[in-house]
Amino acid sequence: MTKKIISLILSATVAVSTILTGCSGASGGPSSKASDPNTIVIWHDKEDAVADVLKKQLDTLSPDINIKLEKKTDLTESLKMVGDDPKSAPDMYIFAHDKIGVYAEMGILAPITDIIPKKDLTAYMDKTIEAATYKGEIYQLPIYYETLLFMYNRLYMKDEDVPKTTEELYKYMQSHTSGGHYGFVEQHSTPYYAAGWINGFGGQILDDNGKPHLNSEQVENALSYHKKFVKMMPGETEYSTVNTLFSEGMAHSTIAGPWMVPTVKEKGMDVGVAAMPTINETGTPIAPYMGVQGVQVLKNAAKNKTKAVKKVLEVLMKPEVEVELANASGCAPANESCYDLDDIKNDEVVMMMKQTADNAVPMPNLPEMDVMWTVLGDLLTDVNMSGEDIKTSADKAQQKAESLIKSMQ
Amino acid sequence: MNSKNRKQTLQCYAWAAPSLILIAVIVIFPILYTGYISFTNMNVYHWNNYSFIGLKNYKDALFVFDSGFLKSLFWTIAWTVVSMALQLVIAFLLASLLNMKGLKLKNVYKTLLIFPWAMPGYVSILLWKTGMFNSQFGLLNQWIGKLGFAPIRWLNTDTGAFWWCTIVNLWLALPFMITIIDGALQSVEKSFYESALLDGANWFERTFYITIPMIKPIIGPSVVITVFTTFKQFDVVYLLTRQVGAKTGADFSTIMTYAYENAFITNNYGYSSAVSIIIFVLLLIFSLVINRNTSRAGK
Repeated sequence: MTKKIISLILSATVAVSTILTGCSGASGGPSSKASDPNTIVIWHDKEDAVADVLKKQLDTLSPDINIKLEKKTDLTESLKMVGDDPKSAPDMYIFAHDKIGVYAEMGILAPITDIIPKKDLTAYMDKTIEAATYKGEIYQLPIYYETLLFMYNRLYMKDEDVPKTTEELYKYMQSHTSGGHYGFVEQHSTPYYAAGWINGFGGQILDDNGKPHLNSEQVENALSYHKKFVKMMPGETEYSTVNTLFSEGMAHSTIAGPWMVPTVKEKGMDVGVAAMPTINETGTPIAPYMGVQGVQVLKNAAKNKTKAVKKVLEVLMKPEVEVELANASGCAPANESCYDLDDIKNDEVVMMMKQTADNAVPMPNLPEMDVMWTVLGDLLTDVNMSGEDIKTSADKAQQKAESLIKSMQ
Repeated sequence: MNSKNRKQTLQCYAWAAPSLILIAVIVIFPILYTGYISFTNMNVYHWNNYSFIGLKNYKDALFVFDSGFLKSLFWTIAWTVVSMALQLVIAFLLASLLNMKGLKLKNVYKTLLIFPWAMPGYVSILLWKTGMFNSQFGLLNQWIGKLGFAPIRWLNTDTGAFWWCTIVNLWLALPFMITIIDGALQSVEKSFYESALLDGANWFERTFYITIPMIKPIIGPSVVITVFTTFKQFDVVYLLTRQVGAKTGADFSTIMTYAYENAFITNNYGYSSAVSIIIFVLLLIFSLVINRNTSRAGK
């Protein structure tokens, strides 16, 4: 009997271990931060080109202030684990604005206006400040932003053939999709990409009060109209398939992020960027989400290292940092004044992002958005890939979103 | 108990202490902590100022176990049974072949068979997804295209996803089972086979009356561990069919992927912990049943 009990306990122990591993998330681990008020640890998840520019600029503060720029691939989960522990947490982090709501609610972020005056932010594009604002407080100093772009391979699509409207795009797809070639491809059933079509129809995935609107007339119309385009695209919706088709010259055009441009240029493609086609049904261009990359300050650092943090923010507010980032990695500056400079004016990709940004919608920064990616992903695959009825699927998704949001409380 | 025995017992515990402490820290403590969190309202809105809310999370969590959960539970049981049956049969056959008399290059075969184990699971799964199943670039569709047929989306139906996930899981899990059975086969006393051969027993008779009964106690614990690993498998199913941004359209989910999509993404740690504990209890019941059956079979 004793043996039975022991074996039962051991089996159960083995059984539960992975469940708990699944919930544990990533451990932040102690960073090499000293409690020295002149040492600032900044976490980021950026590519080397961006990190190099930031490091070079922030090192100008040395020797008065010692900056430790640490790359974290699991930044968001690590922050959840250690955000309120001054021994393990960074002082600041550079990340997209869409997690601001989560961290603000967790109480680990300090409003940026606690350190720099609000009037100093007037130089920034309104949409970037809108993105950085949660419940009336500005939690992020914007540095640059990203939007999706309409890209085309000039080998197949001439500049004069670039579709101005979605119906022109549809006709182009009809005449150029055959034999393993596609007129146009996109990550059709991925929420971040499909959001552009939904926004273009005036639909809203999540409103400012955190209420989902997946079964609204606008969303259903967008899904219904978008479906005819999806039928002429590959069955897969994931990043690797869509981007490989375009970069290997098997797709004439695509909607992708600016990070795609250097990759295809390296392969020798003569790539063009154009304004998003206007949706004939609504007269509005496809309106993708806009992600604003910027720096956030943790509450402990704002309180204990105010002077050093302020100096770091002042460096990052210099327009030349944003210009250098644009030159190094095609990042679109958040500071409006940068667009008067020749370096920026001559950058086709950055200027097209600025144009797209006029219609783009900042990604919601509410905590509720965390569940919406999964629910909208299910809705899109139900409609586009499983051929289910739009109304029924939208109602089901709305119900699930409401239930998950309720579970967050 | 005399003093000599007591001393021996204490010595045994002393020797085992480092392992027991390690198990307590990395396994027992997280279970207890999860249990503790499950009675609180720890979530994004109450991150530091969480408080005890009794059984509320459990009440809410039970609503997760709706028809969707029952469907996932059914799929999980089917997935575990099919995966385990295939794993045991295939691993036994391959291990038997490896133990054939006079087999040349035995070590080369063993290395090749263990190769999937050496690769990180995440990489293997995504390689299968893109390299084999992709409608544009996958090997299977390349062959089908050469034959003049339209590409097939292998993972977009529930049944298709179930079978292909099972095959990928087999690829990942077979090396472990082959290694265990191979070791077990080598431990069987050769004189039993010699006597059986003298008595005129054929391969099937030798397998069913000597090999299987002899290796059963050796592979038993490994089978139990693999049953649990398979039952709570997450990576294969999620990465092949359900990853956000790469969904295939199939509605095949195990209880772990279902719990993830219905609880863990809410950032409500109290609620997610309650769901984890309920799944833990389910697994506990499952282990009880298996242990009972194993003991019966052993008698």
